[in-house]
Amino acid sequence: MGKRVVITGIGVVSPLGCKKEDFWNGLIEGKSGIAPMTSLDLTNYKCKLGGEVRDLHPETHLGSKGLKYLNKGTRFLGSAAKMAIDDAKLPVDGSLSNVMGIVIGSSLGNYSETTDYFYEIIKGNPSELSPMRSYDVALNSSINYVSVIFKIKGLARTISAGFTSSTDAIGDAYKMIQRDMARVIIAGGVEQISIDLFLIFYIRGLLSGLDGKRELSTPFDKGRNGFVMSEGSYVVILEELQHAMERCAPIYAEVKGFGNTYVGGRDYTENERINRAKKAMSEAIEEANINERDITLISANACGCKIQDAVEAKAIQSLFGSNVSNVPISANKSNIGESYGTSGAAQIISAVMSVNTGIIPQIINHKENDPDFNLNLVLERPLKKEIRYAMINNMDYDGNNSCLVISIFNK
Amino acid sequence: MQKIVITGLGLVTPVGTGVKKSWESFVQGRNGANEMKSFDTSKYKVHRSCEVKDFHLDIELENQIKENTIHKYVYYAAREALQESGLMDKNNFNIERFGIAIGTLAAELTPFERLLRPDTSKKDNGFDRIVAAVYPPNSITNILAKYFGFEGPTMVSLNACSSGNHAIAWAYDLLIENKVDVVMVGGGDMIPQTEFTHFHNLKALAPEKCQPFDKNRQGLMIGEGAGILIMERYDFARKRGAPIIAEMRGYGLSCDGFHMTAPHPEGEGAVKCMSDAIRMVGLSPNDIGYVNAHGTGTPHNDKAETIAIKRVFSESAYKIPCSSTKSMIGHLMGAASAVESVVCCLVLKHGIIPPTINYETPDTECDLDYVPNVARELKVHHVLNNSFAFGGNNATTIFSRNDN
Repeated sequence: MGKRVVITGIGVVSPLGCKKEDFWNGLIEGKSGIAPMTSLDLTNYKCKLGGEVRDLHPETHLGSKGLKYLNKGTRFLGSAAKMAIDDAKLPVDGSLSNVMGIVIGSSLGNYSETTDYFYEIIKGNPSELSPMRSYDVALNSSINYVSVIFKIKGLARTISAGFTSSTDAIGDAYKMIQRDMARVIIAGGVEQISIDLFLIFYIRGLLSGLDGKRELSTPFDKGRNGFVMSEGSYVVILEELQHAMERCAPIYAEVKGFGNTYVGGRDYTENERINRAKKAMSEAIEEANINERDITLISANACGCKIQDAVEAKAIQSLFGSNVSNVPISANKSNIGESYGTSGAAQIISAVMSVNTGIIPQIINHKENDPDFNLNLVLERPLKKEIRYAMINNMDYDGNNSCLVISIFNK
Repeated sequence: MQKIVITGLGLVTPVGTGVKKSWESFVQGRNGANEMKSFDTSKYKVHRSCEVKDFHLDIELENQIKENTIHKYVYYAAREALQESGLMDKNNFNIERFGIAIGTLAAELTPFERLLRPDTSKKDNGFDRIVAAVYPPNSITNILAKYFGFEGPTMVSLNACSSGNHAIAWAYDLLIENKVDVVMVGGGDMIPQTEFTHFHNLKALAPEKCQPFDKNRQGLMIGEGAGILIMERYDFARKRGAPIIAEMRGYGLSCDGFHMTAPHPEGEGAVKCMSDAIRMVGLSPNDIGYVNAHGTGTPHNDKAETIAIKRVFSESAYKIPCSSTKSMIGHLMGAASAVESVVCCLVLKHGIIPPTINYETPDTECDLDYVPNVARELKVHHVLNNSFAFGGNNATTIFSRNDN
């Protein structure tokens, strides 16, 4: 058995607000973070909506020094990391430097600044571009920025795995603490809305509203027609249990298991996809040393995609069998949209809050049940329920199925 | 504990396509620098880099990879490594236990630059399905998975210049945990104009040649290519009678937490990284027979790395050969530490240490045995591969001969 790993801090930069309370209250009050996109000119496109981060004041978290050189993704991540560190009451005086690490997932963090830069290169005189624009250039720079300001010296890693990037990052950080590679890890994800990302989704036909019907994030709904894109940064502090206890840290939940399988690379039948998704869940449950009957909350990947939601629903139904009607399911993407490489971390934070408070946020925008599904969706109002084990699903249509199991903390 | 072994190697470097050609060049000390061909450098002060030369797609590859992206280098190296390991045919194996981990710095930039640039006047900037499909970084692992039939967990490491070693470390853990039997690991990068401009404007580029540890070193040279290693559990490899090239022993990770671009002047993160790796493997510093230095050729890196090596190895630092293959192939960014890990395995296999070329004037601050200019025959048992990324993101790996 490896070391036990607990969650001791949460930081959120989200379309529902830039505090963990804003995010959580938004979810349980059934608010939506989706609105007409303001940062992109979408006049010529069918899709108009997005979950943008609106009220972030990075200077309150990071100070104003050097802020103008930081890209949007770095501001998101830096702010979320600072909030998580404060929430966990972690000292950043350097006393924990060598035992502290950072593992962040993202697919295209800081990418739009890079493409803008490239356009300037080909239009003008590249050697006249300011060297200050070369300080924060890629996702890697974001984690380096965080490591510099918070004196992190243990390790720094970025993981890019499309939609599951942040779950894979948190899973990886959990394993590293288990193996004693670090005692505290800042883990999570960051993603930002950009025209590049919009176009990827748009051209692949993944966005809601492309079919000319309503543009709405409606997980598991019969009329679901794609997702609404969003952005943000969601960060947790993972900590080795003994370390957390010794410094009397607040403990939100314990990480118990991680599983992942893969469906990229070729055409899979629906059944193959279902089996792989199911296997990721089984692996995480097995590692947690429990039975699927112990799971009392599923935070679903459910982004509103026709095929993806069906695969997930059927995988859950197959795994839980007749017990499926007893397991409440939440789907935060109804409120915040699909934030790509950081969506899993958002779900994990929501599940952690549920475990902590005994409240499961409702799925909003739900109009009509899909007759193929037999799921216990939490609808209309939040559900009060004591949760011992929660399972978080995160899936990429062409990549990993990743699943994390967390539990309420018991000594 | 289960041993993790290397059973296949693949390389595409500026000094040769394929392991055999590259290794011959490394041993001969060939310089891979050339006048930049892939884009116009007339508006820059530096016009040279280390590009891959004489890379021709054979018909099989041509059918698979249509676009001019890093995928073709990674594909070539992966196929070479798989052929050596005997894993092209996977009929008898559970391919859900075959994972992939690839490091890159700019995978998503090269398709953008190379495919979008001619079409900037078109609607949506000429954005089409093909571009979108090769666009995000994890498309590398998807393409490899598709071509080679690997269906286990995947990851792409975007850790700048230590990406390859991070991918290897990730794979090592997955194998030790027995989640997989085999992981295809490595890295690949092409030279994006964006990165060239960044390094250029930070005045980090050498104008003529890369001269690691030389007194007059002027900076790094950007290079391109790919390196792939097939890593597997020893039991699995033995059972299927695979050729065992080397053993992957462990790693160390650290972070300078010091500055967004400059390394820590006393090599603090580098010291932790090397020391942790040596400790994890259960060796003492004296056991290490060769260090493949990060050795970029920038004034700061080489000085700090030299200090760090002395701090880790004390007096024996002067006795351990420590060369920088970047002197020949330049800095392959996200592929650098993967390619250098392949080099480390070849050092173990052939008993030859590749030199640091372009070494002309000794520097009193860099006074280790850098194997100047000429390769050296030396049978070594344990080798250490350093990678210290931009902004202090460090990873060190250790490989050993399998007969230990």
